[in-house]
Amino acid sequence: MKRPGDFRIVNHSVPRADGVAKVTGRAMYTSDIELDGMTWAKVLRSPFAHARIVSIDTAAARQSPGVLDVITGTDLASLRPYYGHAVKDHPILAIDKVRFIGEPVAAVVAEDDLSAEEALQLIEVEYEELPSVMEVDASLAPEAPLIHDEAYTEGAFRGFKDGRQASGNVCQYVKVKWGDAAAAFASAAHVVENEFHFPMAYAYAMEAYVAIADYSKKGLTVYSSAQHPFMVRHDLADIFDLPLNAVRMIIPYVGGGYGSKSYTKIEPIAAVCSWRTGRPVKLRLSIDEAFLTTRGDDARVRIRTACDAEGKFLARQATIHLNTGAYAENSPLVCAKAANRIIGPYLIPNVDIDCYAVYTNTVPASSYRGFGSTQVTFPAESQNEELADLIGVDPFEFRMRNLAQRGEVIYPGLRPIDADVPGDLRQIESKFEEWGAVQEGRGRAVGCSASDAGSHPVTSAMIHVYSDGSVSVLSGATEIGQGSHTVLAQIAAEEMGVPMSKVRVVGGDTAITPFERSTGASRTTTLMGRAVLEACREAIAQLMSFAAEALGVAQSALIEECGGVRHGDTQWSWGEVIEKHFKHKDTSIIGRAYLRQTGDLKLMPPFWEIGVVGTEISVDQETGKIRLERLMTVGDVGLAINPAAAEGQDLGAATMGIGVGLFEELIYDGQQLTNGSLLEYRVPRFSDLAPDIHMTLAQNQDGSGPYGAKGGGEGSLNPIPACLANALYRATGARVRRLPLTPERVWRALQERPKV
Amino acid sequence: MTPLNRFEIHQPATITEASRMLLEHGEEGGCYAGGTELLLALRHRALQYQHLVDIKVIPGLNSIQAANDWIDIGAACTHRDIERSPLIREKLPVVAEMESHVANVRVRASGTIGGNLCFAEPHSDPATLLLALEAVVRTEGESGARELRVDELINGAYSNSLEPGELLTSIHIPVLLPVQRAAYVKYQIRERPALGLAVVLDTPDGGATISQARIAIGCLCPFPRRSAAAEEMLRGSREEVEALIPQAAEVLADDAELIDDNEGAADYKRHLLGVFLRRAVARALDGA
Repeated sequence: MKRPGDFRIVNHSVPRADGVAKVTGRAMYTSDIELDGMTWAKVLRSPFAHARIVSIDTAAARQSPGVLDVITGTDLASLRPYYGHAVKDHPILAIDKVRFIGEPVAAVVAEDDLSAEEALQLIEVEYEELPSVMEVDASLAPEAPLIHDEAYTEGAFRGFKDGRQASGNVCQYVKVKWGDAAAAFASAAHVVENEFHFPMAYAYAMEAYVAIADYSKKGLTVYSSAQHPFMVRHDLADIFDLPLNAVRMIIPYVGGGYGSKSYTKIEPIAAVCSWRTGRPVKLRLSIDEAFLTTRGDDARVRIRTACDAEGKFLARQATIHLNTGAYAENSPLVCAKAANRIIGPYLIPNVDIDCYAVYTNTVPASSYRGFGSTQVTFPAESQNEELADLIGVDPFEFRMRNLAQRGEVIYPGLRPIDADVPGDLRQIESKFEEWGAVQEGRGRAVGCSASDAGSHPVTSAMIHVYSDGSVSVLSGATEIGQGSHTVLAQIAAEEMGVPMSKVRVVGGDTAITPFERSTGASRTTTLMGRAVLEACREAIAQLMSFAAEALGVAQSALIEECGGVRHGDTQWSWGEVIEKHFKHKDTSIIGRAYLRQTGDLKLMPPFWEIGVVGTEISVDQETGKIRLERLMTVGDVGLAINPAAAEGQDLGAATMGIGVGLFEELIYDGQQLTNGSLLEYRVPRFSDLAPDIHMTLAQNQDGSGPYGAKGGGEGSLNPIPACLANALYRATGARVRRLPLTPERVWRALQERPKV
Repeated sequence: MTPLNRFEIHQPATITEASRMLLEHGEEGGCYAGGTELLLALRHRALQYQHLVDIKVIPGLNSIQAANDWIDIGAACTHRDIERSPLIREKLPVVAEMESHVANVRVRASGTIGGNLCFAEPHSDPATLLLALEAVVRTEGESGARELRVDELINGAYSNSLEPGELLTSIHIPVLLPVQRAAYVKYQIRERPALGLAVVLDTPDGGATISQARIAIGCLCPFPRRSAAAEEMLRGSREEVEALIPQAAEVLADDAELIDDNEGAADYKRHLLGVFLRRAVARALDGA
């Protein structure tokens, strides 16, 4: 395998392919697109958390100037009006009842957005209010009203096979168990037990949801800000009973996702608007509406951990309740991930975890960067620190005694750990030593996490190699800002022996690119990157046989060189080989690769995503305000295809951790979301970044991706909130088990802390 | 994004013409003086004006001038104009400093001081400081010109005492005397401050004693206010004043009718008042 230093283009921080277009405002986003004859849709939203729809009068709205149609749930009877990749519980527009404030009840299509907006105000809906449940305990109470009283069909991509149970308001239940936890607790030297709360958070992206749908006899074309176009295609094909080739998803640049753009969101509404009117329809939400579209699951975690007298873990038991909101969305998968990611990168011999995703009458929860790991690493790493203190062992030492070494199995049946986590931790430890003694009033902490990342290793890639030497990569991965189009081009340029300027990545169109399951779970570099590499190798294998044929020699007599082939004094570039093969100008060949869950990808997950971070904070003890002073991340990415991009992902992830660790929390007052706007919901700013930031990459080439690469982008988020809480404890002696660590919450904890 | 309702924009040449336009459109009309608050309210349909009178185009409304011991700021001056004005920086550095921390640079570049005061958003930084500085606002309307104190202009959350057709034309701020020290401090986690506190202290002897104090608080109450009782406590030697700060803060807190909301519980805000009153006094006297 090539090692760092051997690469021409890979492992170099080449400039981003999309950088200039984005900073000069020329990059095309879905919002920028206007189609001929395009109309606009606006959505009327439910003012009730739970109510039966008695009647909807659309007559006045239909008469409003510029209005083409007003669509409600009852107009969708000839379709399959419920969608959902996990559970088909989500009506395109409310049918019979509404389940949260903000749920789409009707859509107006008009010649312009203002006419559509004005007509919304003319729709009369009569509701009969039903009792609502806003929180997990209320939803699980025996007398609780059922939020979903009908049986739904299973979605095609629930994400896993075991432990699927749902009843009443429980959307998903997952149990993870090995060993005998009860017996281990009974005989343990030390046990810590606590309850933790992770907030309801919104994965804010600068671009809110936007989609343009164009339905015609030929099929359905949808432009969208979607992260997983092939998953959305599945839902749309199912709704309209169309063949896969009749649904075309086009994804221009996407203005950030962080989980919020995964799976189907507003595309079905735009699609039914176009289906009804026969015109292309654009539906563009405001940020305030995006707050009402999806969010991350908030979590209550009751957790108990035991260790022996030497500080070796004996057992962990946890009961996790996720507030999943009104619809399943991706929460069944978040539920499964929360259940197993609470282990961390540690060896725990006895484990017993129950995780429930519970429906409530709140905004539906779905993916949030980290998929459950963020929710459970906070309790797990807080509790690990408490145990370390209880037995009087240094936090590094305590972790070292329990971390899995490379090749050890932390979760029976899954891939052994493919990283040197103790080595990563030692990097933080030596940085802490370099920083020296901690100043008075400050606190320092380390944190780590392990996530079964990558999702299903099902993907494909295609490359065109042209007779002039240029190369196109056809990839179904979405460039969502993470830099994937640059990374994939680097891999193709490296393999085909051409400069970056000769490589073009063609993506974002399901009619052109082969299948890619999704763009999430930190998978693109590992899986799509590997598919691109294999497609290049497959193209080169063809080119070697073409060269042998053209030269009239055995293929074994040829020597493959960077960018072409040599036989004695004859040296041909790949372009020349193609031209000689076809004896024609401007020709090209196709290389392709498919990845399946087989061979070295048979064991799930495709790779472990490790998060290892260190933080130092200061605390204003009068106001309770925390400031992050120092941050260190170790991006354990196997090999960074683009080191600057990998570090950018780590910094972004850590910053998101600062957000949910210190500020971000959606607050309901009764049935009403009270802070669903950027004026009220505080996301991190540049000024919140630590003045002192160190980003390190661990490049041990131990991943299943190209050149031993593994994914990053979530790892450096997951341990941050716990790290901040542990640092707060170090600084002040106040232990806070509820996020975010708002100044007021910290101030109260400071008042209540035991006097020393 | 939610589109704005349909409206017509009017660009008057004079204050008189603007006044006439506002009178003509009555409830359906409003002033457009920068739009940083107005456009948000229009997008959320909290306001539904069909006519906007753009007062920024009226000549002379964006000047900053000195006259005797007063500084005169035109109502249409942006926060950025004031923050960068050499005259303000020299004569009223506390105002320049406060303005330089209003919201963010985009808001400062388009939002105006007059719009800020008239809109009477409870989280206004300028209103609190101007109240402590005993600034006077000048208005013009059908019934002539008036001069009002800031707490006469702002009479509630999002509420002002302007009469129909009456416009705020300028803000008149007395220059600080050599014996006066002023400071504005605020506490902010989210987009808007949760607490604003201004002090103006008269000290004839370089900070050893305080002969008179003015304190204004904002953001945690519906509109900025002063408390004569609290101000009375902050007279005497610096030591005496500092000892009474907790009590003065309690008085301020009692006056403020603090409530529990997403910005904090009332008891936390009460505590913050004590912290920031002490910090404001220290900053005024020590400049730090």
